[in-house]
Amino acid sequence: MPQLNVLVLDDEPIVGKRLRPALAKLGYRVDVVQTGADAVRLIGEQVYDILITDIRMEGVDGLEVLRQARARSSRTRVIMITGYATADLAQEARDLGAFDFIAKPFKLEDLRAAIARAAGSFSAEAHG
Amino acid sequence: MGEPHPSPPADDPIAAADWALLHRPTFSIRTKIAASFLACFVLIGGVALASWITLSRLEHKLYFLEVADRYTNHIQQARRYEKNFLLYGTDLAAAQEHVQAAGTALKAERREIERAVGRATFQGMKGHLERYEQLLGELDRSPTPETTTALREHGAQMVDGALGVAEAERQSVHQLLSVSRLLPLVAAGLLLALIMYVTQFLARQILRPLGRMVAATSQISRGEFTPLLPQRRYRDEFTTMALAINHMATELERRQEMLAEAQKLRAIGTLTAGVAHELNNPINNISLTAEALLEDCEQLSVDELRDLCGDLLSQAERAQGVVRNLLDFARVREPQRRPLEVAELIESTLKLAGNQLRLSGATVDLSVAEGMPLIHGDKQQLSQVLVNLYLNALDAMAARGALRISARMGDEPGFVSVAVTDSGRGIPKEALPYIFDPFFTTKGAKGTGLGLSVSHGIVTKHGGDIRVRSEVGKGTTMEVLLPVAEAPPADHA
Repeated sequence: MPQLNVLVLDDEPIVGKRLRPALAKLGYRVDVVQTGADAVRLIGEQVYDILITDIRMEGVDGLEVLRQARARSSRTRVIMITGYATADLAQEARDLGAFDFIAKPFKLEDLRAAIARAAGSFSAEAHG
Repeated sequence: MGEPHPSPPADDPIAAADWALLHRPTFSIRTKIAASFLACFVLIGGVALASWITLSRLEHKLYFLEVADRYTNHIQQARRYEKNFLLYGTDLAAAQEHVQAAGTALKAERREIERAVGRATFQGMKGHLERYEQLLGELDRSPTPETTTALREHGAQMVDGALGVAEAERQSVHQLLSVSRLLPLVAAGLLLALIMYVTQFLARQILRPLGRMVAATSQISRGEFTPLLPQRRYRDEFTTMALAINHMATELERRQEMLAEAQKLRAIGTLTAGVAHELNNPINNISLTAEALLEDCEQLSVDELRDLCGDLLSQAERAQGVVRNLLDFARVREPQRRPLEVAELIESTLKLAGNQLRLSGATVDLSVAEGMPLIHGDKQQLSQVLVNLYLNALDAMAARGALRISARMGDEPGFVSVAVTDSGRGIPKEALPYIFDPFFTTKGAKGTGLGLSVSHGIVTKHGGDIRVRSEVGKGTTMEVLLPVAEAPPADHA
């Protein structure tokens, strides 16, 4: 299985700082950005397999990045992480094509499990 | 005696007003009315007594006039008989009889005659009469021309005297009659004046306090109340009413405070949701960092360990900061007015409601004019007002609305204006007059109808005002006007 590339977007710098090594350890190639604009720029440059994004951010917010990523490629699996989790927001994200929706605070293993599910969906797609 | 306060209470203006109202000598309206009627009665009684006295005197004088006439008659008869005697030598005894009768009458009515014509005249009359009687006796015995002349002289004087008495008394009767004619007229005039004065006085006693009470109640209904203070030297029935109104105002104020407290609790409830979400970020950071520490502690360098622990501490502090604001706002304490910076007030309230704003996705545009003067107020209460306005604005807007907050000098001099404008659905014209009424809400079951009412109460208490401009479909601007703080004592000048 080729190395999956992951983009982590959160305006909280600590999230990127912690997720980068925690995911790299599992063999993913990880890019970290702190603004929606940066994320959109990187998405324009390459197709990411997995996008992990916060929702509430100044400027371009997570939902907009989700839209852009899905427009760029339907391959990209988008996992939303937010401290402002509400049922409405989760529904809105799913309607826009989010793969998963995780409320902050989360455990690393929850996120890893979600990423694993996303990775699994690629092989399911390939086999199906 | 047994009053609750021996001296006026200094801390509570209403209690002080009550004390001042009570510590006056009592002079009730009832007593005043009774006194007024007593005055009328005394006047009428006086007039009646005067009439009675005048009429009695008149009666007496009429009787005396009869006596005087009779006396004159006797004198004139005596003179007629005296003439007959001198001409025909007859009737001397009859003349003497009449003189004696006149003498008896003179003696009997001595006091009255003295009063009417004076003592000297009376003595003169008496002298003439006695002399005349004597001369008549002499005439009987040995008439001489000298006796006759003296007799005529004294006779003439006697007649003059008698006529004088009658005349004097007649004049006195006329005088009394004109007095008694005038008396009722004067009395009626006096009574009219007295009644007019009493009416004026009682009207003032009743209407003026009534006017004050009406003014006080309408002041209370506007939410600004200064306790009723004594305006007169005496306590009366209106004192009880003033006490009742002061008591009512105290109760209203207490209830207003309870409503404000209830409303604040509700606002805190709303804000807490935002704070809870906001806390998720530092908690998440702490949790991720702790997991990293657990997983990788053996591979991490000392510098990396330091960095991770630093993150743990900074995020713990951040979480504390998130809660502190809300706790400051939620803390129950006595209102305390001090000089406040408008910009700081707006910023701290934006922080308080910031999570809520982020949740709704609204954009916030803040503009504060340069060089704004300080305002004087209670930070917590004014925060409550602004937070209410923000939350109302959020409620009025669909997701991702635009909230504009601008602070500048008000159009009226001496006032600072803080305007909160939303891009919401606006308030229908027919609802505008009621938006500050308690329990009026356009939010259905979601609203309590307390937010604007309580905010209005707080701002009015600060000497300011809240104004509203709204257009259905476009949005609403709520403008809070607050008086500029008086220049502080120039201790650094």
